[in-house]
Amino acid sequence: MAAIELEGLTKDYGEVRANDGVTFAVERGEVFGYLGPNGAGKTTTIRTVLGLLSPTAGTIRLLGRDVTDEAQLLEAKRRLGYLPDDPAFDETATGREILDLHASLKGDERSAELLALFDPPLDREIREYSRGNVQKLGLVTTFMHDPDLVILDEPTGGLDPLLQQRFNEFVRAERNAEVTVFFSSHILSEVRKLCDRVGIIRDGRLVTVEPVESLLDRSGKFVRLHADEPIPIRSLEVDGVHGLESNGGAGPSDGAEYVFTFTGDINALLAAIREYRLVDLSIEEAPLEDVFMRFYGGDATDSPAATEQAAAGTDRGGSGDV
Amino acid sequence: MFELTWYDGRRRVRGSIALSVGLSALAAMVIWVYPSFEAEVDLDQLLAAYPDPILQVMGVQTMTSLGGFLSFELYTFGWVIMLGLYLAYSTAGTIADDVDRGRMDVLLSMPLSRRRLVAERFAAIAVPILGANLLPPVVVVVGARLIDHPLAVADVLAVHVLSIPYLFACAGIGLLASVVFDRAAIAQRVALGVTFVLFLSESLLTGTDAETIGAIAPMRYYDPNAVLLEGRYDLAGAGILVAMTLAFLVASQLWFGRTDIH
Repeated sequence: MAAIELEGLTKDYGEVRANDGVTFAVERGEVFGYLGPNGAGKTTTIRTVLGLLSPTAGTIRLLGRDVTDEAQLLEAKRRLGYLPDDPAFDETATGREILDLHASLKGDERSAELLALFDPPLDREIREYSRGNVQKLGLVTTFMHDPDLVILDEPTGGLDPLLQQRFNEFVRAERNAEVTVFFSSHILSEVRKLCDRVGIIRDGRLVTVEPVESLLDRSGKFVRLHADEPIPIRSLEVDGVHGLESNGGAGPSDGAEYVFTFTGDINALLAAIREYRLVDLSIEEAPLEDVFMRFYGGDATDSPAATEQAAAGTDRGGSGDV
Repeated sequence: MFELTWYDGRRRVRGSIALSVGLSALAAMVIWVYPSFEAEVDLDQLLAAYPDPILQVMGVQTMTSLGGFLSFELYTFGWVIMLGLYLAYSTAGTIADDVDRGRMDVLLSMPLSRRRLVAERFAAIAVPILGANLLPPVVVVVGARLIDHPLAVADVLAVHVLSIPYLFACAGIGLLASVVFDRAAIAQRVALGVTFVLFLSESLLTGTDAETIGAIAPMRYYDPNAVLLEGRYDLAGAGILVAMTLAFLVASQLWFGRTDIH
């Protein structure tokens, strides 16, 4: 039984179809990244899965339970942790009072350990909390009852880099403890560091669900080649070379440098350049941004302008989701 | 069960004490002015000077006894109008404000059904309703003795006890507004407006052909004059108010149970 199963999930707001036939399953014990730019429909999927919105069409099972049946949804919620996009708590309460309420409603297995890790100022009222502190308190309330499944909507927004690091380590440890983690993000490096599989959503439609490695494989390698002497461009016209750029002849001692993305057979590439003397060669994974752009902004690797434009589009703040 | 009621209830204690003290001060003031009022003013003449609709709206029957005076100066004004409006307004803020400020997502991620959430939040309104009725009856009974116009203790208690289902019914109007509108400010304005219109419809239409319209107003079933002047306790009316409250609660639960939370 999968932790989350979506079958043809559609949510129609009348003017906007925020989710359109979304189908995927999150397996138990995996970390699943739900990726898309702001407004793609990530939050709508999450809030429908949680029963906050009712689906226009499709079925949703959460930990094996049908979420449109309230009794079944309640069963699932006992083993669920959820951190919304922009969590909010009673402003006049202190952090401790919020934790007490949550403990009384869903139990408390491990808040002490979580408080040591995230440390929100418990004796202060929520109205005095910074966004980062609210997020820390939210992380504690999400995990305190030791849920089997955790749904996090843009979880690292508001956390400083040090805490983001701590959060990443924490999520890895949770996965090792067999906790299923589903989180949405528009930050690719975050997804790449944490996820086993990634689902990409664009304009309400699921574009692909793949293991992170296979996305990286498909995106190819980033190759930087530094040769003693200029290499004829002809020799580099191997299948799978994209966006070749060179700055040959910069100076006699510098030789010539070539940069390109490569999606073909690495042996063919090495065979083609065997006869040239190399100063240096590096083959790295392409940045996930490039992979991501394939689903949004055309072939980003061939068009730096498109990359820039699309990257700017994904870097906006996290409040515009539907 | 009742974890949320307990949490909400505790957060309402301070406000409810303030409410009780404020209403006690109002009660003390009304009782304090009564003797000089009675001595200096021809009360029947004063009554005759008011146009009938005003007397009808304020529920004035007589000023020539302390019971009649308190009935409109304190109970019609303080309880029927002010507290009724306050509870409708305050309750209208409960659910709508959670949705408005994005707290509902966190609340509903817990193993808590929507019906239970509505019922528990509503139950916590008992704190201001009971709180408002705690101190003032003592002030009224003692104050009346001090100015030598003693009132029947049973009548004073009854006027307060019978106000409890009335105030719950007003809160019920607020609750329904709170689930129908997901903006707290709108829910509160609607609840105030509806409660006030119901009050006017009941008080102005009484004795006219359109009197039946007032039957849906909670104010029809709570009459301080009947209690304080005639010692008549309208238990059937109280029963109707309880039924009304339950109807508002169930309607709110059904509505909130099937609505999308934005």
